[in-house]
Amino acid sequence: MDRKDYLKEPVNHIKINGTLTVDQLMQQFKNSGSLGAGRLAAACDIYEKMLREKDCTIFLALSGAVVPAGMRTIVTDLIRKHLVDVIVSTGACMVHDAIEAVGGHHYKGGWAVNDAELYKYHLFRIYDIFVPEEDYIRLDFKFSEMYADIAKQRNGESLASDEFTHEIGKRLTDKNSILRAAYEENVPIFLPAVRDSEFGFIHWLHASQKDQKNVLLVDAFKDVPTVCGICARSPKNGMIVIGGGVPRNTIQSSALASKKGLDYAVVITLDRPETGGLSGSTLEETVSWGKMKGSADHVMVIGEALMVFPFLVASATERLGPDFKRNSFLQREKHAGKAN
Amino acid sequence: MENNNEEKFCGNCDSHNCFDYPTKVFCSTRYWHHQNPIVDTLWHCESYNRVSQECYCVSEALKQKNSGKAAES
Repeated sequence: MDRKDYLKEPVNHIKINGTLTVDQLMQQFKNSGSLGAGRLAAACDIYEKMLREKDCTIFLALSGAVVPAGMRTIVTDLIRKHLVDVIVSTGACMVHDAIEAVGGHHYKGGWAVNDAELYKYHLFRIYDIFVPEEDYIRLDFKFSEMYADIAKQRNGESLASDEFTHEIGKRLTDKNSILRAAYEENVPIFLPAVRDSEFGFIHWLHASQKDQKNVLLVDAFKDVPTVCGICARSPKNGMIVIGGGVPRNTIQSSALASKKGLDYAVVITLDRPETGGLSGSTLEETVSWGKMKGSADHVMVIGEALMVFPFLVASATERLGPDFKRNSFLQREKHAGKAN
Repeated sequence: MENNNEEKFCGNCDSHNCFDYPTKVFCSTRYWHHQNPIVDTLWHCESYNRVSQECYCVSEALKQKNSGKAAES
């Protein structure tokens, strides 16, 4: 590069007035183009591109305290508006959704508290959010019966994790539930580490019942051809990651296994790359594996998802306007009856 | 608030979890045996096994019971 290539665009100062919309503020961030604001503005541009791209399948990876922190409805609305196509989640995120779907709540709490006392009151802490144990136990009780019902129907045949979430969503009535919305809109939710959550302990409760004849069988290996197949068939693939871990790895590995490589990637994380762990690994690193194309539009937003993700979604949807209708590749494929 | 009660109660048995704090608990042992798992915190049965980490279930249930009695009288 020549010297002048490094000095193409000056930083424009952020101007605030009293009537800025979310997207207008995002445009001001873009004018700055620096630090976290610049990354967030880039993320918004990339998500908008994914949404406007006719043939891009959008994967959303969920991990961490998405639901307890208050982003449940954002995800549900994205599903109902078809602004995401596939969800890959930790088991815990969907457990948190299920807790609220059966009447439980997460409560505003604090982090400087007496955790030994919380234990004695049967209250669990997720940083500064509290959840009563009885909300988990009510879920366990109800879902154990649900597992028995699903197992009876399947009669020894195992389910892939997306079939499992589909069956759960079918049995929930809460319209604000992520699981319910995904069931109604036919959006697959994969839980590659399903047993590493309350869903696993509910299984223990269900399977340990005396004389249990029909034990629910969930086989996460069955997910692999399905999720890789989606990547392979989709002309383009993009991902938005909240956090990282197993959900991020599942999407990236599927893009690799299907020999496609991601075309778009947005990762929102506070994790660092120096550990060699996946959650903080840079997107540039994924290029070396073939998980993301070298030409992909990508950005990592280093920030806490509760501050970043609502902003990202609000800004992108404002740009699209109220009349925007997305007919995704997977929807068209389903309508054409070609889905596997 | 300390729970020094040495008496056997569902609320200090290791099969208990919260169901309707503090008066009702969920008993996993009963669930496994297809019995109604929702029992009174201040009940107990022959499968009782003392919990290793004490909680406030029993003391709070006793307090509630005693305050109820006081209100009745």
